[in-house]
Amino acid sequence: MNKADHSSEAASVNLNELLARVDNDRELLCELLSIFKQEFPGHLQGLQNAVARNDAAQVARISHTLKGMLSSLAVTKAVASVTRLEQLAHAGEISSLRGALGALEKEVQGLLPEMDSYLAEAANENTNR
Amino acid sequence: MKILIADDDPLSRRLLEKTLERVGYEVISVPDGRQAVKSLSATDAPRLALLDWMMPELDGPGVCREIRKRRQQNYVYMLLLTSRQSKEDTVVGLESGADDYLVKPFNADELKARLRTGERILHLEDCLVEAREDMRFKATHDHLTTLWNRAVIMDLLGRELTRSQRENGCTAVLLGDLDHFKNVNDNHGHLVGDQVLREVARRLLLSVRSYDFVGRYGGEEFLVVLNNCRPDSAFGRAEEIRKTICTRPIQTDAGPLGVTMSLGVLLSRDWGQRPADELLQEVDAALYAAKAAGRNCIKQAKPEESHEVASVPPPALERFR
Repeated sequence: MNKADHSSEAASVNLNELLARVDNDRELLCELLSIFKQEFPGHLQGLQNAVARNDAAQVARISHTLKGMLSSLAVTKAVASVTRLEQLAHAGEISSLRGALGALEKEVQGLLPEMDSYLAEAANENTNR
Repeated sequence: MKILIADDDPLSRRLLEKTLERVGYEVISVPDGRQAVKSLSATDAPRLALLDWMMPELDGPGVCREIRKRRQQNYVYMLLLTSRQSKEDTVVGLESGADDYLVKPFNADELKARLRTGERILHLEDCLVEAREDMRFKATHDHLTTLWNRAVIMDLLGRELTRSQRENGCTAVLLGDLDHFKNVNDNHGHLVGDQVLREVARRLLLSVRSYDFVGRYGGEEFLVVLNNCRPDSAFGRAEEIRKTICTRPIQTDAGPLGVTMSLGVLLSRDWGQRPADELLQEVDAALYAAKAAGRNCIKQAKPEESHEVASVPPPALERFR
């Protein structure tokens, strides 16, 4: 994996921070990304459904879970968006939930492809060793 | 050292597992609070726990409250992990019984340092428990023989008599005294005397059942309480004890020494509802009678013979010891 490729402004994952968090264990990093890829779509779908139903309690709960996952992977911008969504849900500001969800969706749009590219690079590195 | 991780987020759980395994912890991880309580309440449970605040079934503070309520023998050091950061949350977390609090995403070095603090506190607790148990042992046992001391064996006797009266059972009370023990001390010194007393204690313990009681009643006097003893077997069991003492010489620094024991025996069923101290006087008189009969033998205290045994004046009995 080439760190320089992913430390630009456009990158969703702060790879340097994440690598430090996993103590430069790339195998663990790949494992965490795989877990995220598996879990994230279901949570996002649940969040979208809860917002559509104006279910603030459910929005708060799922946002909290997503916040934890995104924080663990150092996806810093998305963390800010999902934190806002959680706060709005706690405050009962139903009318603002759709807008906040939209901002989050925009942040995470490229996240899974980005992770796929990390995983592919890691796989290549292992093959070339 | 074992550590429990309770977190419903598989990603966070895996990251914690790996971080802690790297520094040598034996990690047990569960996805919810109920399983955390179960794991922390099991035999040989982890004594360090990292608990996520928000979890299904039971949240982190709920786990802390549940564990503290159970007042388990071993203290569990619990650290809450959360992304909640308000002062109110900190207060709620700590008042639920948590020992510490760490905000996610955690910094691995800070986490390890806080866990080391937990380990220090657990170590301190272990030292205190060990000291308390040591003091409890010293307060209840005879330091030379490690048998129950006089106060405790008397207490145990009293309880056992009450129980056997309530259940219409029978307790056999044996009071044994080593014959001519003064000669051992005078001829070979007190250290050899101590070796004899320790070996006699060991033999006594080996000759009773695990639920019988053996205590050091005085210098070379031993009190044995045979719980729930069949009246027809009490004398036979006292005889076994007598033989256990005299059959083989005791190995000491002064060489092998032959030792014998005289015993008084009493069956609680024969004496109605008499208090422990009165029964002890009776069995003591029977012991004196055994001494008077030539030692290394057993005499049973019976109500109809009580007057006769008691009629021997104590100073006269004393010389038989």
